[in-house]
Amino acid sequence: MLQERKFLKGPELRDIDDYDFPGFQKALEMGPEAIVEEISKSGLLGRGGAGFPTGKKWELAYQEEGENKYIICNADEGEPGTFKDRYLLDERTLKVLEGIMIGAYTIDADTGYIYIRGEYSRQIEILEETLQKARKAGILGEDILGSNFSFDIKLVRGAGCYVCGDETSLLNSLEGMRGSSRSKPPYPISKGLYGCPTLVNNVESLACSAEILNQGAEKFASMGTEESSGTKLVSLSGDINFPGVYEVEFGSASLQEIIEDLGGGSQQGQEIKFIIPGGLSTPIVPSDNLQAEYSYEGLQQAGSSVGSGGMMVISTAQELSDILTRIARFYMDESCGTCLPCREGNKQIYRIISEAKYAGLTVDRLNLIQDIGDTMQEAARCGLGRSAQLPIGTILSEYKEELIEGGNLP
Amino acid sequence: MINLTVDNKEVTVEPNSTILEAASKVNVNIPTLCFSDDLTVYGGCRLCVVEVEGSDRLRPACNTRAREGMEVKTHSPRVREVRKTLFELIIASHDISCELNCLICNRQNSCQLKDVAEDIGISRMCLTPGADEERESDHSSHSVVREPNKCINCARCIRKCEEIQGVGVFAQASRGPETKVTTFKDRGMGNVECTNCGQCVVSCPTGALHEVYHMDQVWESLYDEQKHVIVQTAPSVRVALAESFGEEPGTIATGQMVAALRRLGFDRVFDTNFTADLTIMEEATEVVNRVTNNDNLPVLTSCSPGWIKYIEHFYPDYLQHLSSAKSPQQMFGAVAKTYYAENAGIDPEDLVVVSIMPCTAKKFEASRPEMNDDVDYVLTTREAARMLKSVGVDVCNLEPEKYDEMLGVSSGAGDIFGASGGVMEAAVRTAYNMITGVNLQEIEVTPVRGLEGLKSAEIPVTDDLTLKVGVAHGLNNAGIMMEKIKAGEEFHFVEMMACPGGCISGGGQPINTERSWREVREKRIAGLYDIDENKELRLSHENPKIQKLYEEFLQEPGSSKAHKLLHTEYVTRGVPGT
Ligand SMILES: Cc1cc2nc3c(=O)[nH]c(=O)nc-3n(C[C@H](O)[C@H](O)[C@H](O)COP(=O)(O)O)c2cc1C
Ligand code: SF4
Ligand code: SF4
Ligand code: SF4
Ligand code: FES
Repeated sequence: MLQERKFLKGPELRDIDDYDFPGFQKALEMGPEAIVEEISKSGLLGRGGAGFPTGKKWELAYQEEGENKYIICNADEGEPGTFKDRYLLDERTLKVLEGIMIGAYTIDADTGYIYIRGEYSRQIEILEETLQKARKAGILGEDILGSNFSFDIKLVRGAGCYVCGDETSLLNSLEGMRGSSRSKPPYPISKGLYGCPTLVNNVESLACSAEILNQGAEKFASMGTEESSGTKLVSLSGDINFPGVYEVEFGSASLQEIIEDLGGGSQQGQEIKFIIPGGLSTPIVPSDNLQAEYSYEGLQQAGSSVGSGGMMVISTAQELSDILTRIARFYMDESCGTCLPCREGNKQIYRIISEAKYAGLTVDRLNLIQDIGDTMQEAARCGLGRSAQLPIGTILSEYKEELIEGGNLP
Repeated sequence: MINLTVDNKEVTVEPNSTILEAASKVNVNIPTLCFSDDLTVYGGCRLCVVEVEGSDRLRPACNTRAREGMEVKTHSPRVREVRKTLFELIIASHDISCELNCLICNRQNSCQLKDVAEDIGISRMCLTPGADEERESDHSSHSVVREPNKCINCARCIRKCEEIQGVGVFAQASRGPETKVTTFKDRGMGNVECTNCGQCVVSCPTGALHEVYHMDQVWESLYDEQKHVIVQTAPSVRVALAESFGEEPGTIATGQMVAALRRLGFDRVFDTNFTADLTIMEEATEVVNRVTNNDNLPVLTSCSPGWIKYIEHFYPDYLQHLSSAKSPQQMFGAVAKTYYAENAGIDPEDLVVVSIMPCTAKKFEASRPEMNDDVDYVLTTREAARMLKSVGVDVCNLEPEKYDEMLGVSSGAGDIFGASGGVMEAAVRTAYNMITGVNLQEIEVTPVRGLEGLKSAEIPVTDDLTLKVGVAHGLNNAGIMMEKIKAGEEFHFVEMMACPGGCISGGGQPINTERSWREVREKRIAGLYDIDENKELRLSHENPKIQKLYEEFLQEPGSSKAHKLLHTEYVTRGVPGT
């Protein structure tokens, strides 16, 4: 029976008096280059969804020259089905703080931002209090722990849209502009916030980095598989008995085991139809593929990806057409509206899908959605548009017959 | 240098060039919509996507740097499929239909959607065209109308207004399909700090932005037997009108234009250049006086109404620096309704003054209360072309005719008003004479010519006086110039033009979708300097008709009568929301 492997998880850690930031202290001893090496050695991949090697990112940010550099903790957590950052902010607050401080020290940033999802009111309160106490305790501010390193963090509340989780839109939002993506290049690493070199990392990536310094890169790398080091926080939800945040060692379990052993199986014994394994921007994995191993490579083989770790389990009790309509609606509403394929493509897909709910899908319409979806994937400007059709496209191709026969229509 | 292949053709480009630039070097045309060579890259329309060997998805040519060894396919099957779908998506979002609007659209001849449709070779639509909801048009401005139903959200207007004009009237609001281009608090262009320059209009690829039409009113006047309808033509119109009839930018069509306007039915065809000369007389007099008395220097020019509204909004503390001289358009109106009406024995009530201008801001200017309806209607060059076409006149095939004499004779100094630096040059030619009593030996003041955004020159006049002059065009540059002045940089006289390159690329000019902005501007400017060079009469103060006007009517430059008729005042406007 699959057990959680606890590397990140642990007892509530919020009180500055209870914690002396051993990871950060170690970082101060090691110096930036050794930190970069340690993080690289760990094999940590970014946990925000894109999976970019964190060590490499830090190295690039470290090498950037600039009078001002920034570090941003991406706590927007807007990806549907994802709520693991909330857990970390709630329970492991000081680990997140420590991760930000280590990152800042490594790249020599003097200001950091936590961009937090606007709806996370409780976590906002917790962070405000934590930051205040940290300043009082000299953990933030001038000459931290006598190290000559000065650094402070600003907490910024997101204005409530999914696209602001995308790092370039987040930068616009932080600068007080409309939350819409920026074209890349330039990348935030070289020209980010106010045109300065900026390191953007997900909450979990930062907490992981803190633990890697605490517990050692070797320990982290010893967990998981060749290509997927360490553990991952999985936000498990949908038609299962015990939804929640679980820490899973990569390669230690199949999707089936996660659902059965951690999630307590499907609700009322319903048959599982498919899962969306990594948040709403990842392709579905149908029930006949649930033996797939939970790792970057395992999910890739199954035609999907780890994404943010937001695993949604869908049973046969759900109407396919409802699910399709909701996904399409979400993307239509959340497109930032800057680029044409995403703005208009999502609208047309929503139109066709919502009409089909009553009129049925035809092969022609299915092909049309496919064409639009391909165009979005090929040509959209940012990750939102490029991946918007992944769940819809895979549902449509997997359940084509069922949908065209009208098996799911009223 | 960087070597790559585009559609199997080898090409070498400078570092940091884009794929789009590389492709154009080997004459491969990649369709674009949101791209404009004078603006920052936006990457919104994605029509320019191309296949790059080894890349998992397509890349926008306008925003992807060429790299060594890159293999680019610009029209592969994969690219063409995606482009077709993209185009369908645009059309499906755009209020487009043959029955309803394409045939009557102001951009029927310069619609970039049509160009792109042709480039892509689309022959079938799977999506139903039509915007979801009617969006109300913005008629709040005297100069520009916005029809959001035709807007494709390419943000060219936003970028033009912000980057080139430094004004920033437009922004995007809402998200998803609701995304729209709008003004501060949806107030409409007429109720915000819009300068009416129309630069957004000429940047728009569709018919979503256009001038406020005066065509119907002009037709009505022309058909009205009671009315005596006269027309004035601005300097820049003569080097641009022919473009609407298929000619190259910069083609000089002065005589043909005069003939065409007679055919249209105007009772007299006069020249704004005549009052450009008059403006120089008044303005140069003012400059000489103010320089002598060190009175509110630098003197800032006042003939560009877009610039005037800009300074009224953004630098109202400097209004006393503006020359009080009216613009040539308004001087013409004032002289026509008095001197001309008197001489021709026409009741000013029955006299209709129409101008043909390269400019949308002139419409606003004519409506200013300070201008007492001296000019009744203002047509843009584009409107004039449409009117001419609608009566079957092909400008380019007419025998040239001459302007009517009384208000139709002008010097080359008047012609060059249309190019950035031209007003300065014209004024210097005359001011020099006013101070020294002799003409400049070399009358061409070349340092103030050309497309450099900020220009300056020092002109030795007497042993004690070297005139220091500055020139800025495009309002963003005007803003930079104002900051220099604020910071204490000293000039005697500064020319400001709202539009980049001067009036020749004003917001009312023909829209050329085939050529780069730079090329169009350069050619139109060359046309004007050509006219000046080939004229006998090149100095405003030597214009015999101007001399006559002063003798018979105005007495002398700067006289109280001249002040009453030819000078004006300005208004402090400020910026809403600040
Ligand atoms: C539409 C969209 C939404 C995103 N939302 C989030 C988010 O909520 N949180 C997050 O950490 N990353 C999000 N990302 C990914 C970020 O752009 C960025 O890759 C990430 O914050 C980098 O951190 P990491 O390297 O630590 O993963 C999103 C990306 C896209 C395209
Ligand atoms: S893909 Fe969507 S969210 Fe991203 S830039 Fe384009 S419109 Fe905005
Ligand atoms: S007319 Fe000029 S100032 Fe007004 S919105 Fe257009 S570009 Fe901006
Ligand atoms: S008004 Fe014209 S230029 Fe502005 S966004 Fe719309 S289509 Fe583009
Ligand atoms: S022209 Fe390149 S994205 Fe629009």
